Amino acid sequence: MAQVYLLFLVGCVVSILLYKKNELAAKVGFSIAAVSSLYGIIYFLSNLGVTSEMNFGNDFLFNPHFVLDPIGNFFSFVICLIAFAASVYAIQYSQEYAKKGSLAVMAMLYNLFIVSMLLVIAAANVFWFMIFWEVMTVVSYFLICFNDSKQSMRATIIYMGIAHLGGAMILTAFLLLAGQSGSLDFASFANVDLSAGMATAIFLLAFIGFGSKAGMFPMHVWLPKAHPAAPSNVSALMSGVMIKVALFGIIKFCLWLPVMEWWGLLIITIGAISALLGILYALTQHDYKALLAYSSVENIGIILLGIGTGVYGMASGSPVLAAVGFLGGMFHILNHATFKGLLFLGAGSVLYTTHTKDMEVLGGLARKMPYTAFAFLVGSMAITALPPLNGFMSEWVTYQALIQGAMGEGVSSRTVFTVSIVALALTGALAVMCFVKVYTVIFGGTPRDEKIWENAREVPVSMIAGMFILVVGCFAFGLGANVVVEQIMSVVTGFTGGSFVSTDGMAVKSPLGSIVSTPFISLILLGSLMLPFVTLIVFKANRDKPRKTDPWACGFKYSSRMQMTASPFTGDLRRLMNWLFKADIHYEDQGYFKPVKYSNHARDIWWDALYAPVINFVSKMSDKIEKMQNGNSNLYTAYILVALFFFLGISHVK
Amino acid sequence: MTILFWMIFQVVMIALAAPLFDGIARVLRARLQSRKGPPDFFQTYRDIIKLYKRSRTAPRCAHWFFTYAPFFLYATGAAMLAAMPITYGGLESVGYADIFVLVYLAALLKFVFGVASIDSGNPFAAVGGSREQMIGVFVEPVLIISLLVVMLLAGTSNLVVIQQMVLNGEVGFFMPAYAVASISFLWAMYVESGRNPYDLAEAEQELQEGVLGEYSGSDFGIAQAALILKQFAMIGLFITIFQPWNFGLEHPFLALIVFLVKAGVFYVAAVFIDNFGARYKLLSGFKSNATAALSISVVALVLYIVGV
Repeated sequence: MAQVYLLFLVGCVVSILLYKKNELAAKVGFSIAAVSSLYGIIYFLSNLGVTSEMNFGNDFLFNPHFVLDPIGNFFSFVICLIAFAASVYAIQYSQEYAKKGSLAVMAMLYNLFIVSMLLVIAAANVFWFMIFWEVMTVVSYFLICFNDSKQSMRATIIYMGIAHLGGAMILTAFLLLAGQSGSLDFASFANVDLSAGMATAIFLLAFIGFGSKAGMFPMHVWLPKAHPAAPSNVSALMSGVMIKVALFGIIKFCLWLPVMEWWGLLIITIGAISALLGILYALTQHDYKALLAYSSVENIGIILLGIGTGVYGMASGSPVLAAVGFLGGMFHILNHATFKGLLFLGAGSVLYTTHTKDMEVLGGLARKMPYTAFAFLVGSMAITALPPLNGFMSEWVTYQALIQGAMGEGVSSRTVFTVSIVALALTGALAVMCFVKVYTVIFGGTPRDEKIWENAREVPVSMIAGMFILVVGCFAFGLGANVVVEQIMSVVTGFTGGSFVSTDGMAVKSPLGSIVSTPFISLILLGSLMLPFVTLIVFKANRDKPRKTDPWACGFKYSSRMQMTASPFTGDLRRLMNWLFKADIHYEDQGYFKPVKYSNHARDIWWDALYAPVINFVSKMSDKIEKMQNGNSNLYTAYILVALFFFLGISHVK
Repeated sequence: MTILFWMIFQVVMIALAAPLFDGIARVLRARLQSRKGPPDFFQTYRDIIKLYKRSRTAPRCAHWFFTYAPFFLYATGAAMLAAMPITYGGLESVGYADIFVLVYLAALLKFVFGVASIDSGNPFAAVGGSREQMIGVFVEPVLIISLLVVMLLAGTSNLVVIQQMVLNGEVGFFMPAYAVASISFLWAMYVESGRNPYDLAEAEQELQEGVLGEYSGSDFGIAQAALILKQFAMIGLFITIFQPWNFGLEHPFLALIVFLVKAGVFYVAAVFIDNFGARYKLLSGFKSNATAALSISVVALVLYIVGV
């Protein structure tokens, strides 16, 4: 396993050595990343069930010891898969940043980012886990900084703030756990004897800490600011896999701690809220990258539904429920990484050629960039869980898990499970609306800004290749769901102990006896696609080439301004949900001959409710503390003396 | 493979018979409104055949998705019908007749509808597309809660098994949750089948069918046939889950005839609600009606949760 990490490190070194040759550095650096991740895909897939270890120097800094168990292999595989597509994509995409910064540095940071995520997964003690966790955060921070604008600087600061808060919580959780087990090694955590209160405290700290990185509600506010700010290949990695690394942390802690039923229910509740709120906010966005970022919040919610069911199953002593819950969650982790990676790469292509993130000025791009449009369409259909693509299968398994949970006894668990099923279904309906909007407003209809449309071109070949790798993934994980489920099942059985017959030929089965076969669904869909053609032939339909006209505008001359844009498409929904969005609806009449200005932007009220007060308090306090920093060295000496006396005092008390 | 044969068979038969019931409904609606209406029950067939002969226009701005959307709509509608275990009851391991497959095929239909509507560039079509999505948002909770109650009582989401359990009396109207869920599901089904006050057939420019505003000729004919198929699929779902009786007829062909008659009765009977109900603006209509339907479905869910 060391080769995979070494290959990425070679990528780091080579790209920084080529610092003087900027373009070459990017090409070589990202190619090495692509090759290494391809090797990683093959390695982690073929060793999925194997537990492997490696050591670097026995006594060097807390014994750098790395272990990959089947879950670790699974997550590493997901990381490498998205990294492969994103690296191929970046070979030509990075040229976009040639004027903004050094591509050599970008390629180096990019390689480092991937390897730090892989090493977080592999780390086998607290020290190295936290080191790589922070490296991952810091490197992603630098990568966001390549888009040097006022907005992205603000986004990165918020990101760093919340990441630090989360990091502190995770570290506290780890140290509490290590304090009980007496060792920093993960191996010692498995059989720790913990009191219920202690276990709950550790769980809550870890859940909130990792959850803040994963972008779960209500710690999601940074995600829609930071993810869109990064270069698109990095956004794909951040939204596709970095947030999954945090979920890996949550799963790890749940396996170490003596889980309780209400933890599972808590995870499910938070998941359901994240899913619903994420998609509601996504619907109101005009910036398509922010929309995709909010949709990540939604999908993290869906994954948490699966994981929560798994935790509930473990706690309630039902290994089969645990297995199907984790199966749903981990399958959705893989699928969300695939289609969200794809969508971010697609968004990057649109940004690359149009240089705007505002979808209200786009339109008609499908005729200019058919490949990108097709890739984006597949991503949109997969993320809305339309059969027979991959999103459908993992949501189906999640539904089965939730239904099985809801069939148990106990009013509270039944309530939580049933309500979350309804939330998941409603999320599905809203997601259709959301992705219809984002796909068609960007790629369909008439161009809303002729100039942007005239200049739009299909993107270079490596970018298309990067997207189509993931398009293939969306189809393969959907149609080959039985293989994927079998593989994940072997991983899940390893740590839950539960198992059930999850496949039947090409079909996927749930413990409830429900059964779905995606190849059969696509067969039927293709078969029924034949039917209308048959009727056309039977009735000798008139299939002459249609006459091309402007759309019908009730007799008026058609203008592209008559066309639907993103905000009126969701207008009814905004009006209905205004109690949540609290939008400032703003009209401005500019006289008879000019168009009325109208704006209606939803606000993320959680920012005002939870974060703004803290930030205001901190900046107020810093103003007060500023007085202590007057630059007088005598005063600083006094501070040091006071501190020294203070600590001396403490040591005497003992 | 026999199962594939029966699926194709039932889809083709329903596709052939469905316009007849639409024709009956149209005649009945015209009579109720004191209009003359179509001369006989076969007007919908004639309409579709006439549309097939007409030449077509298409908006300049649309891309390939718009061109093929009628075919996608038809395929999805037909695929939804194929998921009804009418002629192949008893074969539960097909991996297709599943409630979630059906729910997400309906979502696929909405997706195609929405994309085609905005892609056409027509302002009315896009408004219709947006409303179609809103209807989905309103109906989805009611639909899924009703279905969820049934799934929880039956312990599976497999439609074939659920149908068998209802037929054998293991699940049925003696269970209060099931009985209440059937009421709210009936509402959801009514809305999904595209009727007034949720869709104004006469005001075609604005609402559900307005989405098709830019289609013409054979494309429009296919799209209309697809919508009728989808409506039959939604009614079929109700019949499969709540009224699966078929006089114990084992033969698939006879079972299909019984199904067609039952679905046809529902389809035509909806005209009565259609004609005598008031009309609302979309949001206010839903706010008043959907809340009631949602509360009924929640009652069903609560009945299940407390274990009555």
